[in-house]
Amino acid sequence: MIAMDSANKKRPEFINVRVKRQDAPGKQPYWQLFKIEYEPELNVISVLQRIAALAENVDGKKVAPVSWDCGCLEEVCGSCTMQINGRVRQSCSALVDRLLEDNADELVLEPMSKFPVVRDLIVDRKRLFRGLERVKAWVPVDSYYNMGSGERQLRATQEQNYPLSQCMSCGCCLDACPQYTKIELTQESGETDEQFAARQDREFDQAFVGAHALSQAMLFNNHPTGKALAGERLDALTSPGGVQGCGNAQNCVAVCPKEIPLTTSIARAGRATTIHTIKKWFDR
Amino acid sequence: MSDSSTDSTSELSFFTKHEFAIRRLHSLTGIIPLGLYMVIHLTTNASLLNGVETFQWAVYLIHSPGQLLPLIEWGGIFAPLIFHAAVGIWIARSARINSSQYPFTSNKRYSWQRWTGFAALIYLFLHIMHLHGGFHADGWLSALNRVGLGQFRPYNAGSTLAAAMKVGFGVLWPAIYLVGVLCCVYHFINGLWTAGITWGLWITPKAQSRATKVCLVLGALLTIVSLSAWSAAVFNSDEDIAEMRAVEDRMYDSAVEGGMVPNNPHKRDLRPGESVDEPADGLQVSNVDLVPAS
Repeated sequence: MIAMDSANKKRPEFINVRVKRQDAPGKQPYWQLFKIEYEPELNVISVLQRIAALAENVDGKKVAPVSWDCGCLEEVCGSCTMQINGRVRQSCSALVDRLLEDNADELVLEPMSKFPVVRDLIVDRKRLFRGLERVKAWVPVDSYYNMGSGERQLRATQEQNYPLSQCMSCGCCLDACPQYTKIELTQESGETDEQFAARQDREFDQAFVGAHALSQAMLFNNHPTGKALAGERLDALTSPGGVQGCGNAQNCVAVCPKEIPLTTSIARAGRATTIHTIKKWFDR
Repeated sequence: MSDSSTDSTSELSFFTKHEFAIRRLHSLTGIIPLGLYMVIHLTTNASLLNGVETFQWAVYLIHSPGQLLPLIEWGGIFAPLIFHAAVGIWIARSARINSSQYPFTSNKRYSWQRWTGFAALIYLFLHIMHLHGGFHADGWLSALNRVGLGQFRPYNAGSTLAAAMKVGFGVLWPAIYLVGVLCCVYHFINGLWTAGITWGLWITPKAQSRATKVCLVLGALLTIVSLSAWSAAVFNSDEDIAEMRAVEDRMYDSAVEGGMVPNNPHKRDLRPGESVDEPADGLQVSNVDLVPAS
C-alpha cells in the first residue's frame, strides 16, 4: 500500500539501532547499540530479526539475542507493543523508512514503561488484563440454555460500539498515561505463586484501572446483553482506582493505534458514575 | 481468595476507600466556592479602576456580615482551599508527568494544571499573609505588621492595598501578584474544562472543543479582569494613596452611621502617616496604640 519513495536518494547504508536491554525482572537495564544493513521497507520486527541473525553489537562483540514479543504482525494482537523513538506503539506497524524520516541517526527501542520487564523488550501486562476483570468487560452468557435471539440493536448504538470493540488490549493508552504508574512487585521467598498473584491483584485493584478498561466498561454497558451488569461495572468504576483516577491529559486517545475514542468513553463513564452515585445515594 | 479480598478492603486507607467521593469533592470545591469566589474577588478589585468609592463600597458590602465574616471566610474560603490544596498535592504527586515525552496540547495543559496548582498555592499563602494575615488575633497581626505583612485594612481598602504593593521595593509584590494571579486564572479555567469531562458534562470531542472555546473566552475575560485589578492596585503614587485615604475616611462615618458596616477600628488604617486629618477623627482614638509599622 505504501509505495517506495524512489526519489529518496539519501538512503543510508546502515541503520543504528539502540536497544534498552534488561536481563531479568528487577535487574538493572542497560543500552546496547546495533548496526544493521539498510534494506527498504523494513518494519521494526524485521529489524529485530536482523539483529538476532547478526548476534553481535556495533563493536563486533557477541551478545545474547534481544528478546521481543510478537504475534499477528498486522496490528491486531498488541503483543509487539514497545516504545519506539520514545513513543509507545506496535513494532509490526512501525515502518523503518518512516522512522528514519523523523530520526535518520538511529532507532531507539525500549520496553513499555508502565509494566514490569520480563526480559529486554518483553513486559508482563497482567495488570492490563486484571483491569478488564475489574470492570467485568464481558457479556454475561454461559451458553447453558438457549436464550433465543438477542435484542435488536439500533444502528446508532452499533456505530457507537464498533470502534470501542476494536480494542486489542495492547496497553498504549496506559503507557502514555501520566496517571497510570508502574506497579512492580517481586515474589518473596516462601510465598507461593497463588499468594503472590493474590498480592499482585490486591495492589492492582487499588490503582488506576486505565483508559482501556473504562472504554470496555462503556462498550458492555451499551450492549443489549452486557448491560445486565451495568450497575456492577459502575460500582467498579467508582471504587478505588476507578474513573476518578483519570487526570484528563488525553494522551490515551492520542496514542491509541486503533483510534478508539477513549476520552469520549471516559467522559461517558464520568456522566454514568455521576448519575449512578446520586441514584444510589437516594435509593439507600 | 474471598477472605483475603475482604481483608484488603479493611486495610485500605480512608483516602483510597473514598477516593471517588474525595476526588469529586475536589473537583467541585475548585469551582464552587473557590473559582466562584476568585471571580468575585477579582471583579471587586477591578472595580477600584472606577474609583476609590466604588471599591470601598464593594468592600463594605463584603464586610457587612460583621461577626459572621470569619465563619464565612473559614467555611467558604479557607477550609475548601486547604482541602483542595491537600488533595491536589496528593493527586499531582501520585502522577508521572510526561509532557516532554508526549508533547500533545492536552498533555501540556495537564502538566501546567499541576505546576500552576503548586504556584497558586504558594502565591495564595504569600497573598493571604501579605494582605489579610490569616488570623484575626491582635498579637499575631501586629507581629505580621512589623515585618510588612498583614497590610490590608478593609475600611481603608484602596489606600492600604495600594500602599501594600509598595512594601519592599515596589517591584517584588507586583511581580508576585502578576504571576500568581495568572496562574490562578489558568488553573481555574483549565480546571473548569476538565471538570466538565470529570462530571460528564461535555462528552464527545466536538462538545469538548466547543467547551474549550467557551473556556478560552471565559479565560480571556477573567485575564482582563485580573490585569485590571492588578494595575488598579499597582500604579498609584503616594499622593494618589493619600487622596484615597481621605475619601475612605470620609465614607467611614456615614457607613457606620447608616448601619452598613459594624464599627470596627481594627479594620481601619490607624497608622500615622499619609493622612493628616485621620487621628483627630473621633471614636477610635483609644485604639491608636495598635500598630506603628514599616
